[in-house]
Amino acid sequence: MTSKTIKPFFLWKHLNKLRWLSLCTVFAMLIFLPYAHVYQTFEAAHAYDLLADSEKQLYDTMEAITSPFINDIEKDLDAIKGNTWSGTFFGYQLSDPLAALGQIFAGRSFYLPFLLTALVPVIFTIVFGRFFCGWICPATFIYELNTNVAAWLRRAGLKTGNRRFDLRIKYLVLAIGLVLSAITGSVLVAGIYPPAIVGREIYYAIALGGFGAGSVFFVITLLFDLLVARRGFCRYLCPGGALYSLLGRFRIFRIQRIVENCNDCAKCNAICEFGLDPLRDGFGQECNNCTACIAICPTDALTFKVRLSDVPNMGPGHLGKLYRRDKKDNGKQ
Amino acid sequence: MVALAQTALNPAVASNKPSLRYLRPPGALPEEDFLSRCIHCGQCGEACPNRCINYFELENGLSSIDTPYIIPREKACILCMKCGDVCPTGAIQQVKYELEDILDKVNMGRAVVDRQLCLSWQGKTCGVCYRACKLPDIAIRVGMLEQPHVLDDCIGCGLCERSCIQIPQAIKILPRQT
Repeated sequence: MTSKTIKPFFLWKHLNKLRWLSLCTVFAMLIFLPYAHVYQTFEAAHAYDLLADSEKQLYDTMEAITSPFINDIEKDLDAIKGNTWSGTFFGYQLSDPLAALGQIFAGRSFYLPFLLTALVPVIFTIVFGRFFCGWICPATFIYELNTNVAAWLRRAGLKTGNRRFDLRIKYLVLAIGLVLSAITGSVLVAGIYPPAIVGREIYYAIALGGFGAGSVFFVITLLFDLLVARRGFCRYLCPGGALYSLLGRFRIFRIQRIVENCNDCAKCNAICEFGLDPLRDGFGQECNNCTACIAICPTDALTFKVRLSDVPNMGPGHLGKLYRRDKKDNGKQ
Repeated sequence: MVALAQTALNPAVASNKPSLRYLRPPGALPEEDFLSRCIHCGQCGEACPNRCINYFELENGLSSIDTPYIIPREKACILCMKCGDVCPTGAIQQVKYELEDILDKVNMGRAVVDRQLCLSWQGKTCGVCYRACKLPDIAIRVGMLEQPHVLDDCIGCGLCERSCIQIPQAIKILPRQT
């Protein structure tokens, strides 16, 4: 028997680092932009001498950071505004698909210019699945760190929750959120969607002097993740995650197991933040292409494939004990 | 309890709270349309060079949570119209920085003068509201002893209320939704 080893493309292994870079960049931008806004308002007031000492410090810091890139503070810093919920990026406006959907329900009408801003994210989601959840979402950044906190707590001997619920609860949350939006005539899904909350609350805290009501909700979700279910909010309750799951159901880029390389070590199942089952080819529409399983696989048995659906369970990995025993048994018969 | 739930859910009831006198940003659609359009993204506040736009928490009912408002006595709108440019949903309309367009589309409220409080009407020449106004002789005009008269074209930006030297202020904006 010829055992031809299939090596996955070497970069896939490092995508997880790139993902963390992306998450950190997004989060850093969410902190930077409010400061940039405050800096702009100082500039607009034309009164550097009247600023308090702390404000002068902020002004000088921002000047040092931004002066290599911009000429006109008031105009040039307008290029990037907003957050991941809805933002302006060099003249192009991008919005979360959930914002567009929520607005359709709240206004019971279609406002095309705004819906078009959600077009690019929708196309990306159809191609890459829940990539937003793993690669951009500022709440994911905190939730994944929160998972590490849970690991430390467990190492210290404390109990953290790891219950499992029905994954379909989040579709119910999405439906209820949209119906409530339609009843009240206000986009209420924005109030229960962590990335929108995080972006807003950071802005409130920096530019308006204090966290708002949303931060309480966010802390509750953190505690829920810590004490009830690992990444529980994203997996079971997030309305945006539900929408992305539906849109990304037939995503083209998926992670897939190379059964010939797999040795059944189950590290992929342990690392998967979303509690999926890469070991038995169980990815489904929940996978957010975070590539943590690819990064941790010791035998390079996971790779990206261009496919419209997951393969059915391919059985135990060919490097594992189970497969060898099965083969021995078959050989005897 | 039912009344409380109604207040929380119904924007028309919620925005009539007597304790809250607030303005929506310039160019905002009528209140109900505004609420159904606004996605609570916070870009209008981030674009405001005057930092006059603030955001509701739960004090004005559930449906106005995280929506922008302006309290003119604290910080008034300078009518730069930048918030309309960044608003992705058209909840705040795009308004050109021109007189006709501003008079046409912006309706935040209207100023009213309390003649009992106003220094000019009490014989002490003041005229600060007239000098603060961005649209002098269009929105406000002064008569004898600088006595202010609010004209029909007042759009309610609140600069007069912000600048009034009398405490409590003698000129106030009546928001358009009340």
